Amino acid sequence: MESLLHFARGPLFRFCLMIMLLGLARILFLDLWEAYRAYRRAGDKKMPWRLIVRRSLEWAFPVKRVSRNPQLYSIASILFHIGLIVVPVFLFAHIGLWKKAVGISWPALPFRWALWLTISTMCFAAVLLIERLFVKSIHSLSRGQDYFWLVLLLFPFITGFVCANLNISAGLYRFLMLVHVLSGDLIFLLIPFTKIAHCVLAPFSQIVDALAWKFPPATDQEIVETLYRFK
Amino acid sequence: MKTTVITDQEREKALATIKKPEVIERQKLNVRYHVEDFDVSDRPRRFLEAFAAILKHSNYKMVLDHFIRMTARCSRCAVACHIYQATGDPKDIPCYRSGLLLDVYRRHFTLGGMVRGRVTGAGYLTDEKIEEMADSFYNCTACRRCALECPLGLDHGLITHLGRYILSEIGIVPRALVVSVRAQLEGPYHNTSAVPVPALKDTLEFLEDDMFEEKSVRIKFPTDVEGSDYVFFAPVSDYLMEADTLMGIASVFAATGDSWTIGTEDFDAINYGLFYNDRIMERVIKKVDSETRRLNGKRVLIGECGHASRTAKNFLPTFCGGSDSLPVMNILEYTHKVWKEGKLKLNPDVVTEKVAYHDPCNLARNRWIVNQPREVLRSFCRNYVEMTPKGEDNICCGGGGGTVSIDEIRPYRTTIGGKLKADQIRKSGCEILVAPCANCKKQLRELVEDQGLNCRVVGFHDLIYKAIEFDDSLKVEQEEGVDQVKNGQGRPSDGEGK
Repeated sequence: MESLLHFARGPLFRFCLMIMLLGLARILFLDLWEAYRAYRRAGDKKMPWRLIVRRSLEWAFPVKRVSRNPQLYSIASILFHIGLIVVPVFLFAHIGLWKKAVGISWPALPFRWALWLTISTMCFAAVLLIERLFVKSIHSLSRGQDYFWLVLLLFPFITGFVCANLNISAGLYRFLMLVHVLSGDLIFLLIPFTKIAHCVLAPFSQIVDALAWKFPPATDQEIVETLYRFK
Repeated sequence: MKTTVITDQEREKALATIKKPEVIERQKLNVRYHVEDFDVSDRPRRFLEAFAAILKHSNYKMVLDHFIRMTARCSRCAVACHIYQATGDPKDIPCYRSGLLLDVYRRHFTLGGMVRGRVTGAGYLTDEKIEEMADSFYNCTACRRCALECPLGLDHGLITHLGRYILSEIGIVPRALVVSVRAQLEGPYHNTSAVPVPALKDTLEFLEDDMFEEKSVRIKFPTDVEGSDYVFFAPVSDYLMEADTLMGIASVFAATGDSWTIGTEDFDAINYGLFYNDRIMERVIKKVDSETRRLNGKRVLIGECGHASRTAKNFLPTFCGGSDSLPVMNILEYTHKVWKEGKLKLNPDVVTEKVAYHDPCNLARNRWIVNQPREVLRSFCRNYVEMTPKGEDNICCGGGGGTVSIDEIRPYRTTIGGKLKADQIRKSGCEILVAPCANCKKQLRELVEDQGLNCRVVGFHDLIYKAIEFDDSLKVEQEEGVDQVKNGQGRPSDGEGK
């Protein structure tokens, strides 16, 4: 198990990280390339930049949005996302691994903060899961991957919390640590191919929305001709 | 703001169809609105062909790819949707509705979807799915309020817009819309209500006489004046039903002395293309451009009409010359500008009732026109009240997206679509509701009637007309004026711009 853990933390981690980075870079490139092409084709190139920046900032720092309905879901979702980003990146134990794997490090989060953030992330993930299961509007929209992701994201948090804070046997520790690392690797591997791609695409949504209403000029005849060819 | 879910009885009334069973059978389409007969054979294939053609010649692919890569289905949009709040039906959640089309795109136009579809043998587009889209996309009023609530920025209004566009290419489009567009693009009078030019001129002369009697000022509706600063396009229904709005607009120009004109070749601002087909929208907007250029006008001025204003403002540059296109202004912007310049005198003792302002989605959602009309109204309406939410976050009247023109779905519009708005109006306690949009006005008046609300719906310039005061230099003694009219001097000639 030790060698498996070593493998999961080392080569497998680096492989999954690479897939994630390359995958995200690919979809980000495709997204921005398509946006650029749309801009080139648009008949009206005047973009509402003020509105785009304002709305993007509103969602990057969604303080204003918390007060809106549905409050519980909004608060849970925002705090869940904060924990999800901060804990893996700024936990002291992780920084050592990052340094080992990719050769860079940065200041760590105080242990107590990391502990509370981990607990809050697990709690808010549970809230989101309960809402997905029992709130009619969310439940009716939910797909398999929406449940899968919440559960998958909980794995490294629960196992990490248990390993770092509870007195457990060495065998169980190694097993849980293996689950912790493997689930983390799996998350990295799947990110570019699933809805979690929003981690890099969401900041550009307001630009895409504005561009979406910038139509190419004089397509009337072209569409008619294309449709005629089908017939 | 929230509303309660409708009762079963209300649901039955709202969702009832007046279509004959044989028509449903013949068209193989069970939707509440009337559709002209169309080719029903091989509909899924034709839908996909139309989708492919549109994707090839538009920018929609970019946005569809962006949306399918990250849609999270969090359902935050549900609380923003006035339709879902009234029905409580998950099929009315904007994300569900968008999912109908996104699923088709994913399945038939992405490599992953095609492979998965081949392997599982599932997900093919069927007649049932097309019928569901035909129903769902016309339940939505395309108000785009949900887009503000989506953390990932999905614009569900755009998906509704695209869904309707594709459906229209295979013949599924409400008859009410297509008949109006046909009259506008192919009819002899070039407008959606088929108003002949002599009738238009008669109406304008009649209104001029009315204004003279009421204000003692010779206020004119100049027609076909070349070189005017503003070429004015009102929704044609205003000439039939909104005399006070038109008189208010003419009064503002009389007070400022700016040159404006109404072109008689094309005077209708209505552009139903926005509601169902980009190609139609392009053709209509080009008519507005060519009429303004024919008259050598400097600016396009759109009357009290939300969708027409948004269409002209956003798409005239798209289809008619980009940065070199004619500038577009809405009449509310103009009136606000001249009011700020001190050119309007509005009597604060005339409108004493409790007044509230309704934001048309097409003017307010992108924060284009929000504060301007409010500033003017507050200056002379003593008893002005705000409805919340407002501005960018306003609640749709329930007749947006062209649905107000579909008379056969009125029970749906006033029981479901307008329920949240009705609650908001009731809560405000207003006696006069100002709605600077022809579509909103029609819907809100029907809402007032059907929901038993205690208020009157008027246009913005209706109140301006009531309150406006003119300099004595502009006033003409009634008898002198009548003499002048008798001598042929009182009425403006069509060639006069000022």
